[in-house]
Amino acid sequence: MEFKRFVVNKLILFFTLSTLITVTVALVGSAFAPDERFGYGTMLLPIKYAALCMLPTFVTFSRRELSPKAMLFRKALMLILIEAVMMIIAFTGPEIDTDRPEVILVIGGCVLVIFVLVHLFLWLKDSAEAKRLTLDLEKFQQLHG
Amino acid sequence: MDVRIEQVGTTGEELVLIRCREITEEVREIESFVKSRQGSLSGVSDKQQYEVAVTDVCYIESVDGKTFLYTNDRVYETSSRIYELEELLRPKHFLRISKPMLVNLMKIQSIQPAFNGRFLALLSSGEKAIISRNYVKALKEALKG
Repeated sequence: MEFKRFVVNKLILFFTLSTLITVTVALVGSAFAPDERFGYGTMLLPIKYAALCMLPTFVTFSRRELSPKAMLFRKALMLILIEAVMMIIAFTGPEIDTDRPEVILVIGGCVLVIFVLVHLFLWLKDSAEAKRLTLDLEKFQQLHG
Repeated sequence: MDVRIEQVGTTGEELVLIRCREITEEVREIESFVKSRQGSLSGVSDKQQYEVAVTDVCYIESVDGKTFLYTNDRVYETSSRIYELEELLRPKHFLRISKPMLVNLMKIQSIQPAFNGRFLALLSSGEKAIISRNYVKALKEALKG
């Protein structure tokens, strides 16, 4: 894949991640610390997390097209690295209460859910594109048939 | 090899005659080129030579340096190289969809999403062919005309 297209895809992924992390933080936060109040700086946290989680996604970059098996391996590696990044953030930053083990489990689970959701969105995007291509193909065949 | 072109007028029979000392690969390629210009390709199946109508070919694949023509129910080996056929069959609505494969756009029934930005072409023969990510743009352009 050419690098430009790879970067565009990563930008789409970044904004999708930011949205999903914001929703997750809101849901998990209201379940674990519903009375907590934050300053304006907190609003930047999902963007910061999304940006840091973007770094492991570069393991999927390849100039030649990867086989499904190789891509699956790199995606699994990416998930492990994202989990590691989130754990480092949780244990080194002041925002997350890591003394409660259930919080750590929830973070790990949320990363997995977001990972699945992102791939579901990408699948839906490809599915819509495939439908458009099929329609264009039908028109093409009617025109040249 | 000398090349001569002779005009036969409106009533004369048109003919391409190759006079050679030996029927080599090169001669077969010239034969294949001339036939493909007329809408058919030479192919060998079960040790017999056939003329395959271009419109009957679903896709063409290169495997281990050999080129095969696939119709709805038969496979033929041809002496032409895939890059030669790509040039030759472009006006006949054939398009490269991956490194080893050309597909007849008129034989695609629908397009579905596949893993990692690729698409799957469902052919009239019931077979499925992977549309590589690198060739999706060319497919879109071809369908838009």
